[in-house]
Parts: sequence; C-alpha cells; structure tokens
Amino acid sequence: MADLDFQKQALAHLDALYNFAMYLTKRPPDADDLVQETYLRAFRFSHRFQPGTHLRAWLFQILRNTFLTFYRVREREAPVAEDGVPEWDVPMFHHAPEDDGTAMDAHTDLERAMRRLPEEFRTVLLLAEVEGLPLEEVARVMACPVGTVKSRIFRAKERLRGMLTDYETK
Amino acid sequence: MTERFDESDESLSRRLAGLPRYAAPARLRVSIVEAASPAPRRPIWLSPLLAAAATTMALALLVLPVLPRITPADPVQRYVRAVVSEHSRTLMWGARHGEILPTALPWLTEQSGIALPKVFVGDERLTFVAAEPVYLERQRGVAIHYRDVDGHMLTYIALPAPGLAVPDRARVPIGRWRPALLRDSGFASWVWKQGDVGCFIVSDMVSADDVERFKEYFTRIRSTTEPVPAH
Repeated sequence: MADLDFQKQALAHLDALYNFAMYLTKRPPDADDLVQETYLRAFRFSHRFQPGTHLRAWLFQILRNTFLTFYRVREREAPVAEDGVPEWDVPMFHHAPEDDGTAMDAHTDLERAMRRLPEEFRTVLLLAEVEGLPLEEVARVMACPVGTVKSRIFRAKERLRGMLTDYETK
Repeated sequence: MTERFDESDESLSRRLAGLPRYAAPARLRVSIVEAASPAPRRPIWLSPLLAAAATTMALALLVLPVLPRITPADPVQRYVRAVVSEHSRTLMWGARHGEILPTALPWLTEQSGIALPKVFVGDERLTFVAAEPVYLERQRGVAIHYRDVDGHMLTYIALPAPGLAVPDRARVPIGRWRPALLRDSGFASWVWKQGDVGCFIVSDMVSADDVERFKEYFTRIRSTTEPVPAH
C-alpha cells in the first residue's frame, strides 16, 4: 500500500476526481464508489506511478478506466424514470447550490447536452475544458494521440452547439 | 436565440469551465483513508494462544462430566453432607418405609446392620415417623425420622464409622455429652460416636432458639438410643 506522503498528495485531488466522477456517473452514490475504488487502486499500484509526471492525470486515468470497466455496464442497465424520460437525459445541475436562477437554466441545458454526448466526447471536454488539463495529459488519460484529442474536442463542441440550439428552439 | 449558440469556441469553453463543481463529501475522504489504512496486525503469538485456549476449553467441556464430584476432604464433613442429603431426600419424598417400631426392628437390623437394643420411639414433643435402612459413605446404616410439635423434621442416622473423629472445636456440652454441632447446606447436625458407630441427628433447626430445642431433642434421643453393629 502507498506511503502516507503519496496518499496525502493523491487526496489533494479528491474534489477534482469527485467532480469528474459525478459528471460520468450522474449519481452521488456511484460517484462515491467510483472515487473510492479509484483511490484504492491508486494506492495499491502507487509503485507504478512515475514521479515527475502529473499525478492528477494519472488519477483521472485510473478513474476513467475504472468507470469504463465497471460502471458503464451498470449505466447501460439504468432504468427509465417514471415520467418516461431516460435518466441520462435528466439535468444534473438542478440541485447545484451555488447556481443562481439564470446560470442554473443555462447550465441545465448545457449539462443536458453534455450528457447526450458519447463518453469519449464528454470526457475530453470535462478534462480539457472543465478541469483544464493540458492536451498532452488528456491524451494520456484517453490513451490516444493529442491529435485525436483535438479532433474529439472540436467534434464534441460542434455537437454541443447543435444540441443547445435544439433546446433553445423547443 | 439561435444566434446565441453560434458562439465562438472561446465562449463555449468559458461556459464549460463555468459549470458548477461538485465537492467531495467529507465522509468520502474519511472512508478512503480508513480503507487505505492497513488493518492492525495481530501479534504472531495470538493465533497459537487462541487455538490452545480453545482446545483446552473443548477438552474441559468433554472431561468435566466424567470428573468425580468435588467432595469435602474432611471425613466428618463428608459424613455430614451425606446425612444432610438423606434428610433432604426424606423431606422431599418422605421415608421409603413407614414401619412402627419395634415390630420392624428385626427386619431393620437385618437390612441395616445396626442393632438398636434401645431406641427412642417418640414422646409428647417428638413423634416417630419412620425407620429405614440407608447406605451412606459406602456403609449400611439405619435412619429414624421424627417430627416435632412445630413440624420440624429430624433424622437420626447411625452407621459404622470406625475412623470418624468428631472435631473438638465444634463440640457443644449438653449435660454429660459433648456432641459436635456442624452445619451444611442450611441444616444443623449433631455428630457423635457410640463405640465404632457414628451417630447423627439432622434438622433445619439452625436459629439460636431452635438450637436450644435441638439440644433437648438430642438429649432425648441420645439417652434412649443405643446403636451397635449387628454382626
């Protein structure tokens, strides 16, 4: 298991990981489980971490891989809500306490559009635009070339714009 | 409105960066730290010690039923406990043979091995109840049961006890006799010897007033009963 210094450094990124997990899983209990599993794996394999590289990107990579391994299976089996609206289409930020009314409305549409993006597009936007990771780190997390990351970001934004336009005209 | 979303790349990036952030609950940090902490290591000697203790306990449970009952080391106490048990049995289930002395004496002598040339058969205070042979401390003996006017049961027992030594520290002077007064399990017992025969009178008369009457009953029985080995 990891030493206390490593644990302390890793736990400094807890909020960022939890935020990312919430965007991926959409449910706080799942986000809790995902983050905890991520940390346990990180501590268990801390010897594989290369000092000098970005610990945060390494943790995001573990979290995404864990999500893809375990949670997407569950996501596919998510039940349809009583009102008939699939759960993935429910706005995620309507309980965010720091939003005022205007921002809430805009964020709701934006978030709804984010949720409808394929995971590859959603994740690159979250890492690059929300978390502010350099493209090289995003490429490492996504295990793909930087060019692919740029392409995905471009295409993701195009899709977002299209969906936001659809919401606005409804 | 449609124009609103023909926004520039920078504008959309700003909106994405401004999305609300979720902070991890405090309990999550605690649970991660707890889960990451290695469980306290058990001392290396603890497992063998627990195994040995469990084995010992299991053996004790197996052996306990076949161990001999704990009996007093003092022979007098052993006798007293035996006669008290016999008295208790009589109180609970009554005497097994209710014969009227002295017609039953030949049979009683034959069965008990104790002859009673003289025997107390009761008076105005003590009523004869029954007489029967008993087997106590690996000896045949005779038991005679009485009831006093207040309802107290008394059991007189005589059986061979050549090695029995009446303890001097418990002796109580009553007239010309000095029997020992011993207590066991809430009962009081007079203990004395006549030759090689050990004699006992057991009753539940343990209070100070009762003991005074118990002395009188001893006198009545002792002065009129003469047990001797029959053979």
